[in-house]
Amino acid sequence: MKSIRVFLLVALLSTIILVNFVSALHGYRASMAEAQQLFDRQLAATAQLLTAMPQPETAAIVVRQTEDLAFQVWAGKERLLMRSSNAPQESIAPFEEGYREINFSGYRWRVFTHFAPERRGWVQVAERIDLRYRLADKMILESVLPILLGIPVAGLLIWLVVGRGLSSLRQLAGALQKKRAEDLTPLPLEEPPEELLPVVKSTNALLARLQASFDRERRFSADAAHELRTPISAIRVHAHNLELELRDLQHQHRSIEEVPDSLGKLKGSVERMTHLVEQILDLYRTTPDHYPARFEPLDLYQLAREEIAESYAAFAAKNQSVELRGGAAPLLGDRFALAILLKNLLGNANKYTPEAGHIEVWARTEGERVTLRVEDSGPGIPEAEYPRIFERFYRVGGDRHDTSVEGCGLGLSIVQHIAQLHHAQIELGQSASGQGLSVRIDFPQQAPLPNVAGEGDD
Amino acid sequence: MLLTSVIIVLREVLEAALLLSILLATSRFMQLRTRWFYASLAFGVVGAVAYGNNLTAISNAFDGTGQELLDAFLQFAIYLLLLLIVPLMVINHHRGAYKRNLLQGAMLVAVAFAVLREGSEVYVYLSAFRTQPDLYSSVMTGALLGAGIGFSIGALFYYLLLGLSRHYTLLLAGILLTLVGAGMCAQAAQMLIQADWLPAQAPLWDTSALLPEGSLPGQLLYALVSYEATPTPIEVIVYSVSISLMVLLLGFTHYVSRSYRQNLPEARAH
Repeated sequence: MKSIRVFLLVALLSTIILVNFVSALHGYRASMAEAQQLFDRQLAATAQLLTAMPQPETAAIVVRQTEDLAFQVWAGKERLLMRSSNAPQESIAPFEEGYREINFSGYRWRVFTHFAPERRGWVQVAERIDLRYRLADKMILESVLPILLGIPVAGLLIWLVVGRGLSSLRQLAGALQKKRAEDLTPLPLEEPPEELLPVVKSTNALLARLQASFDRERRFSADAAHELRTPISAIRVHAHNLELELRDLQHQHRSIEEVPDSLGKLKGSVERMTHLVEQILDLYRTTPDHYPARFEPLDLYQLAREEIAESYAAFAAKNQSVELRGGAAPLLGDRFALAILLKNLLGNANKYTPEAGHIEVWARTEGERVTLRVEDSGPGIPEAEYPRIFERFYRVGGDRHDTSVEGCGLGLSIVQHIAQLHHAQIELGQSASGQGLSVRIDFPQQAPLPNVAGEGDD
Repeated sequence: MLLTSVIIVLREVLEAALLLSILLATSRFMQLRTRWFYASLAFGVVGAVAYGNNLTAISNAFDGTGQELLDAFLQFAIYLLLLLIVPLMVINHHRGAYKRNLLQGAMLVAVAFAVLREGSEVYVYLSAFRTQPDLYSSVMTGALLGAGIGFSIGALFYYLLLGLSRHYTLLLAGILLTLVGAGMCAQAAQMLIQADWLPAQAPLWDTSALLPEGSLPGQLLYALVSYEATPTPIEVIVYSVSISLMVLLLGFTHYVSRSYRQNLPEARAH
């Protein structure tokens, strides 16, 4: 079944047509039979009338008559006293009391033959069958026509009524369709009909269970963050202390010449681990399904300036120049998420741009959209890799990735999450300088949907 | 006039509607595209009007037996198409997609032929009354009543078939199509008798007192199994032979596609 509405319309209308038409036919047949009886009684009455009329004694009278009625009045069986002009000279039908059907004058006639005992003569009255049939047909047709004409009206009414009856189903479908992945509030169906109640109830129960499980996961991630951050911080402190103690020892006993290599490697590894944990948490936090976005008016240009300033040490360490261009770029966005996005883009640019390279950041309004573009002068990415670089832990070149560049392959996944959150589009390309990667993100100026602005609990 | 026109239109519409609803319902079960049926219907209607407009030329062909011969040809063609359709349905049911385009094409041609034949009869009948305005309204009312009843039965029958489980629908469709096909052959034989290609004979029996052909059940049976109150020996023979042929063919396909399915796991194991 493709559509309940079409099914109900066709099935109901077919039933109505079948029942009504068959009973109309039955009615037609019954009325026709009734009409024939009525006409027969009329024939008999005409015969009575002719019997009562005074008859001539001499030559037969011929009465001018229209074509639908013919009659003969006989004295005995031999002498014709009176006839209509369209009746033959000889008797129309055999002299036997009653009705019969006879052909003469090129038509079929219904004939009533009557014997009048007081005059000892016969009267025969005939009526054209086709004409009286047509007359009856015409009268009875009038009663059949409304049934026929009523069918389109019934169809329209059924269509409307069924549509009304299915409106709560449509409402439910609409409510389900409109639901965003992260919206797990119960379905807003007021007074659902009895038939839909189980569906609404079980869907709402399912949504509640899903919400509970999301809540558990969110709590787990927050807990995991704390649990991981604390020992890592402790390790960092211990490594630092160890370094200080070793230096002290170096001063006291000249035997230890310098701080061992492994300590430096330990510190590097701890830094990378800190970064990885932060990135994993950012990735989880910014998942559009879970992220409790709080949209507010902000200037992306201003935000970019702040973030560049914050990461300035990293650029300075590689002797890179950073240029911020464009102008005021107001939009409705989540400040925290956008800061993470900028940090990741700037971090990537910093990592992949060689010593003394150039990085360009654009933020400006273009029509109804706000555009952010970050271009580096690194090695760039081959176009075939574009679709894959948003995958988690994916790194260009796979195992042959330049390991001198630190990173965990999560940065662009996080960027994609945040872009999705803002209904923004990401476009990858080549830098204007001819090499290096250009990441362009187009944000809509308005908040994507009013119900996205949830309450933050992180 | 009303009753006559009801019977004539109902008989033609019902026959086409039943064939269409059986084929449509099986198409839905076999997940064939049903949208093409509109094209097939349209083609049939256009063909019917063309047939009706050129009736004189067609009738005069073959020494005045052109119309009978064309009708007989159309009906035999539908039977032959059904001989192709029903076994293909069984094979598709047992071993999945098999020559689906051929099946779909045969269905569409069968529907178009059926609509063309039945539609042309209705068209010719109705256009004969166009010049008689005093009868026309009665004839048209009768035609609408007959068409309404015919289409309603077809639609309800379609939903009945859809409501059954897949297996029963196929079984029922197979039986009905066998009967409808045999009915087409019997009617074609009747046409050939009218054209003097087959000898005229005295009827074998007469059941018109028991079940008149003109009654609604009589019409329904006519559309389903080509019920005739006074069949001639030739018609009865043609009817029985067409049924036997279809049953034999079905039995054979059923057996072959069944053993194919049973051998399937072994074949995969090798």
